[in-house]
Amino acid sequence: MTLQDCYAKLHGDCDEVFSRLRSERLVQKFVLKFLDDPSYASLEKAMADRDRETAFRASHTIKGMCQNLSFTKLGDSADKLTEALRNDWGENATALFEAVKADYAETAAAIREFKTSLGL
Amino acid sequence: MSGRKKQTILIVDDSEMNRSILADMLEEEYDIMEAEDGVEAVAILSKHVASLSLVLLDIVMPRMDGFGVLSAMNQNGWIVDVPVIMVSAESGSKSVERAYELGVTDFINRPFDALVVRRRVVNTILLYAKQKRLIGMVEDQIYETEQRSTLMVDILSNIVEFRNGESGAHILHVRTLTDLLLNLLTAKTGKYPLTPREIAVITTASALHDVGKIAIDDAILNKPGRLTDAEFAIMKTHTTVGADMLQKAVPGWMTAEEYETIKDTAAAGAEMLERMPIRQGEALLKEAYAICRWHHERWDGRGYPDGLKGDQIPISAQVVALADVYDALTSPRVYKPAIPHSQAVGMILDGQCGQFNPLLLECLRENEEEIRRAMQESDDTAEKLQQRNVRSMSEEALRGEGGTVSERTLRLLDYERMKYRFYAAMSEEIQFEYTVSPDMLTFSSYGSKALGLEEIFMDPRKNEKLAQFMGEGVMEEILARQRQTTPDAPDTTMEFVLHPEGEDRWYRVITRAVWSDEQTPELRGFLGKAVDIHNEKMKLSELEKKAATDPLTGLLNRASARKEIEQRLARHPDGNFALAEIDVDDFKKINDELGHMFGDRVLQELSRRMRRSVRSSDICCRAGGEEFFLFLEYNTDIERTFQRIYSNLCFTVEDRSVTVSMGVALDSAVGREYEGLYHAADLALYTVKRTGKHHFRFYEDSMNDLLTEYGGRTETEKERTI
Repeated sequence: MTLQDCYAKLHGDCDEVFSRLRSERLVQKFVLKFLDDPSYASLEKAMADRDRETAFRASHTIKGMCQNLSFTKLGDSADKLTEALRNDWGENATALFEAVKADYAETAAAIREFKTSLGL
Repeated sequence: MSGRKKQTILIVDDSEMNRSILADMLEEEYDIMEAEDGVEAVAILSKHVASLSLVLLDIVMPRMDGFGVLSAMNQNGWIVDVPVIMVSAESGSKSVERAYELGVTDFINRPFDALVVRRRVVNTILLYAKQKRLIGMVEDQIYETEQRSTLMVDILSNIVEFRNGESGAHILHVRTLTDLLLNLLTAKTGKYPLTPREIAVITTASALHDVGKIAIDDAILNKPGRLTDAEFAIMKTHTTVGADMLQKAVPGWMTAEEYETIKDTAAAGAEMLERMPIRQGEALLKEAYAICRWHHERWDGRGYPDGLKGDQIPISAQVVALADVYDALTSPRVYKPAIPHSQAVGMILDGQCGQFNPLLLECLRENEEEIRRAMQESDDTAEKLQQRNVRSMSEEALRGEGGTVSERTLRLLDYERMKYRFYAAMSEEIQFEYTVSPDMLTFSSYGSKALGLEEIFMDPRKNEKLAQFMGEGVMEEILARQRQTTPDAPDTTMEFVLHPEGEDRWYRVITRAVWSDEQTPELRGFLGKAVDIHNEKMKLSELEKKAATDPLTGLLNRASARKEIEQRLARHPDGNFALAEIDVDDFKKINDELGHMFGDRVLQELSRRMRRSVRSSDICCRAGGEEFFLFLEYNTDIERTFQRIYSNLCFTVEDRSVTVSMGVALDSAVGREYEGLYHAADLALYTVKRTGKHHFRFYEDSMNDLLTEYGGRTETEKERTI
């Protein structure tokens, strides 16, 4: 599986990230690193605890990472959730979190598959 | 570039990935430090502010966000020296505006583009480096002059400008052009060897060139049409009048009479300059005098007031004259519109506006474009300066006694900090510092290591970890004690049990309150150190314990046992207690037959057995000689308990069998007074001794009859008397 395939699977923009970071090695390094980031776990817990501030920050961080990696789909859903949580507990926050959850699962699965194909 | 020390960039972002993306882009050319939230960033800044070239700062972070960091940087004056680029996905105009207000230099939006990031970083660092260098130069060169005179010069020249109805920028333009031309001139030829300091003084003095116009009648000064010859003659006096004013500003330069006699002659100026008192060394006034008097002289000798020719005219006055003419041409006046730059330069070069030093004209011609740009910029800065004045004034007000922190001060401060840190590390003391605003507690790095705490706590009174370490309310108590001090007696000493890593240890906390030096002093914070006195304290209680125990057996002595027993009885009003008095049978005989050493061993063995027979919370005591007490709490079956204890207390030492007699008093029978218990136990023991020793008995009321038989004294008491 190539990095391009991985981006296709997780609905990201491979060309865009290459043009920005200018090194396939870097992109691959950070894509693999994405799995280690604790923000999603923190978001999941904060949503369950209805801890708005932590959920906002975690969602914000995920959005930022996705922007940097051009993970377009997950980035979009994280952006919506971030805005819903910015000032208070938006009424659709739970529904938006479900979208993030699904997109994160899709993204993580694609990266894991990519990782396996590298023999890591 | 190789071999040069890399500059250091601090990256502050809560996402490790974002930090490492940025670090990857920059680490080839820069040293990178990282902080994962605002609190860490402030900690790093407080230590490394002098060596940091740039901060890349995220906005949304836990504990302290980017705005918090910016506030801290403003409060500490760091923002002046370390530029900040905001890195964020936040694009709301409110956050952007707020960030700029707090002194951010630039923004980088996510997603990061490697080229953009590198370019912005390079630009920002270069810009700041240049600014810092310029600030340093200006500071060194006009430091003294500025201290003394800038304010006065500004006030005076503003008055003149106001009366002249000139645009507010005239003085600034003349200054800018004077500065520029002098620099160009010294660079071009060795004929006028001016030092940067001299150039700075002339530039400042140039602001006063028209100060004599204060004395000119408004009607002439601001007449829209052409002046009559008579009016022009009056107008011309502004040169000498200005010079006179400056002469009077320096006491002892020349007496008024002397000056009167020479002031209208061509030699006057030269003589004045000659006779300037060295001691006063007022270089600024000297230059101002020359400029005021001669900025209307002409190279061809046809100017006024003295008709000096060529280089008879001091170079300062020559340059200011040119600058004055240039600005008069390019600025609008009541009687004419503004003339564009290139046309004005052309008119000057053609000699339409007076005669100037050819070298100076060459400078003007050769650098026409640079001059145009500089004048344009000075217009822009004029506007900005006005804004900045308002801002810096409000900043100063915010900072209290403030004043802007200069590089020089920062360097000194940095040195002091280094010194402080060195001594703090050497002394191996836990030192700390608290400031009320920002609400922040800082430990010395040794202190934070020794205690296993972070170095910096924001909002320390709300911090859980700190509360765990200090214990509930201790921080409040320390603060309250500071408020009770005065600026004259700011020190306090307190002792607390603190809890480093969950342990309980005694500390002595010594503090000095920091009060502001206003009329009604305000508490700014405190400095302090905490000394671990746990071992000392424990040693003391060890000594106390020693005083309370019998050295041979290690049991409590009579006095301390009594104290303990009374405490125990008072503290547990519902408990059931028993007091037993124990005597070694025939101890005298043992001593006599086998020696005191053997006797001592018997007593030690008995003590050991007593201790083993009861719980550690019960009280064992050697009351004196071979007399012992046991005091214990019991629940049920007291008979069996004492049976067991008693059998433990009879033993053999080296084939010699040792027995004891024991009398026991129960609080249920005799009440809960120590005296009562003691007498009852004593009476029971006496009864045992009277009836063959080597057994034990509980006190019964009938035993009192025995007592009266023997004249009101128990046997042990009698023995003791004997």
